[in-house]
Amino acid sequence: MIRAFLVWLQTALGKGAGDTAQSWSEALLGSLNFWGLLEGSHLIGLMLFAGTILIVDLRLLGVTFRRTPVSVVSDTILPLTIFGFIFVVITGMGLFFAKPLFYYHNIWFRVKMIMLAIALINILVFHSRIQRTQGSWDSDALPPAGARTAAALSLSAWLVVITFGRLIAYDWFECGKPQPAFINWAEECKVSEKGAVALSGAHP
Amino acid sequence: MSLNLEQFLPHARPWVEGLANSFPGSFIKPQFAWWEVAHVLSLITLGGTTILMNLRLIGVGLTQEPPSELYRSLRFWQNLGVIGIVVTGILIGSANAERLYDSAAFIVKMLALIAGIILTYGVSRPVARGDGAVGLAEKIWLILGAAVFLLGLWVFATSELINPGVFHIITAAGFIVLFAVKGRARWTYLGVLIPLIVVQFVWTHIIVKADDYAHLTPVNKTFAAIFTAWIVGVGLVQLFRAGRGEAGGPLTRIIGYVTILVWVMGAAAGRWIAFA
Repeated sequence: MIRAFLVWLQTALGKGAGDTAQSWSEALLGSLNFWGLLEGSHLIGLMLFAGTILIVDLRLLGVTFRRTPVSVVSDTILPLTIFGFIFVVITGMGLFFAKPLFYYHNIWFRVKMIMLAIALINILVFHSRIQRTQGSWDSDALPPAGARTAAALSLSAWLVVITFGRLIAYDWFECGKPQPAFINWAEECKVSEKGAVALSGAHP
Repeated sequence: MSLNLEQFLPHARPWVEGLANSFPGSFIKPQFAWWEVAHVLSLITLGGTTILMNLRLIGVGLTQEPPSELYRSLRFWQNLGVIGIVVTGILIGSANAERLYDSAAFIVKMLALIAGIILTYGVSRPVARGDGAVGLAEKIWLILGAAVFLLGLWVFATSELINPGVFHIITAAGFIVLFAVKGRARWTYLGVLIPLIVVQFVWTHIIVKADDYAHLTPVNKTFAAIFTAWIVGVGLVQLFRAGRGEAGGPLTRIIGYVTILVWVMGAAAGRWIAFA
């Protein structure tokens, strides 16, 4: 069902009459500059979003701003982080919209989305549980183990999200190429246009 | 116009062509993607530290602490970011030298790197360390760094195929001004900016067809000039209206703006190497 929706998104949405008519997705991908602007904006948005979350996490780890209360660091920096996150999500959705089926069958993208979900759950857990007791350790140079664990998990999750986001550009694992059965399964290559090819060269 | 290294160093082509097959290019090539990841992570570290330190000079962000405290807390991570982008950049560049040799975006990126290092280490950090005080040495470095930055911006804006990348710098400047202006001024600022964005979208997607580049280019250039005039204008009003704050006056805030934007230009130009 998801794939059918993405096929419609890529090939039908916004498509006019005539043989040369393009869908909005195809027009975006084929645009001379807009796709490049989106990609560049995504990277620059990451500098704001991930760059500021790095500093907040380092404070929670007791590595930097040790003399500044955690609440001061988080209350002033997190609005910038949220602004950056919204910007990254909007530009990311634009990039996805240009090639939805490519991303859908890409293992890096799939793991990136899982790690993104873990990072967001970690934020929820931090705000609902760990931050409840913040009043008692707010000014501590070294926050308690729970806060440090959440910060370490956050840093690790965003590191993987960014790393796998960059690796999407590389075609090491692509449906239609001979590759391990696990990768074919994880990318749902069987239902992709290029199909699944086992390492032996046979279609599984 | 489109500048590239070949125009300045035409006899270097054989050497450039051989770089990818000699150390360190040959060593980097098999792990090229991972070095690229390290480059992006370094850029993010540099971006976060630079944005926070320089927004503080503008009077935004972590204002509960003096700029000297931000300098003290962020300098190590900023150094890590700068060293990271330079080291990984050299390694990536050696494995991909031919592309860079022919690229105008690479010229812009190198000018941004030079200006970024001058403005960060010669101006922004000493000013943050001194809680906003701008001495003679910082003024001299500012003139030099800003001149290199403007040269890079001129190359970016006048080079065919990569000049749309200037919109990244305009957008970043637009966001910084949005953070810096407060109260009713912020709404006035947005009240003009948002309709301008809508008008540009309608003009370049409905009035002019998306593939009619002959007509699109002058329209986009005109809008780039209008956006710049509005953002810079509001930014200047904020610079001087805020007067002399506890962390420096208009010159301190100009340093904050320029230092963030020079690294944005470096990141944007780096991305446009891949596009043109």
